[in-house]
Amino acid sequence: MTSQANVRARNRSGGRFELYAWFFTRVTGILFLLMGAFNLVYANLVGGQGKMDVAAQMRWAFFPIPFHVESTSVEVTPNFANPFWQVYSFILVAFAATHGFNGLRVILEDYVHSPLALAWLRGILVFIWLFVLLSAIFLIFVYV
Amino acid sequence: MSSISRVSLVQALRYRGGQSMLAWMLHRISGIGIVVFVSMHVVAAFFLYSVEPQSITGQITQALTIFYEWLPMQIFILFSVMWHAINGARIVVLDMWPSLMTYNREAMWVQWALFVPLFLLPSILMILGAMG
Repeated sequence: MTSQANVRARNRSGGRFELYAWFFTRVTGILFLLMGAFNLVYANLVGGQGKMDVAAQMRWAFFPIPFHVESTSVEVTPNFANPFWQVYSFILVAFAATHGFNGLRVILEDYVHSPLALAWLRGILVFIWLFVLLSAIFLIFVYV
Repeated sequence: MSSISRVSLVQALRYRGGQSMLAWMLHRISGIGIVVFVSMHVVAAFFLYSVEPQSITGQITQALTIFYEWLPMQIFILFSVMWHAINGARIVVLDMWPSLMTYNREAMWVQWALFVPLFLLPSILMILGAMG
């Protein structure tokens, strides 16, 4: 009786987490499409046109950080390096890393059936996720 | 989860799921590719600016950066991001309005019509630009 109730409670909370993860993936996916289009349009409006090659435009569209346009003849400051883009690219990388590592978790749960191995792999994923976020914070706010 | 039956690789490859299966496989492969290589690039860039270039960490970091900036890798990332974005958009639309699932076949053709130019045009321009 109690164990059944426990299982049901666990399923219920687990189900809600999966629902939130599913919804988060959809919402951030749409957000990335809009952000990529916005980055591309912005870069061409503020002087990228004729000064950025296609590779640099793609780099900037995928992730707007000054390192990605340094190699081109565009003037990086003020349009491509300012606090707006720092906050913006931090939001983008935080959502993208969460979207991506949640996706890896879903794939692992499809193929790994041992609960112990799954627990270890989930822990490793959380560790790498936090390390990527920390690296991104340093690159965006400290090393620029 | 435990109800998934075990299938061998040969059986899996012989399963004729058509375009939808191809889309699902490419979505998964491109997703793994993006997470692995972009995370690697972010962490490598972090070490590039924080350790001595002569140290072993610095040398590994430089090798990873050269590998990431290699043109075939860039094309692979472009392919992965474009496929993941366009296929993901189709999945979002069909998830939000499940009645549209009847038109999945047409949606797949729209998806190919968007993906082929959006991937091929930038990649051809990138290859031409790299050739000089």
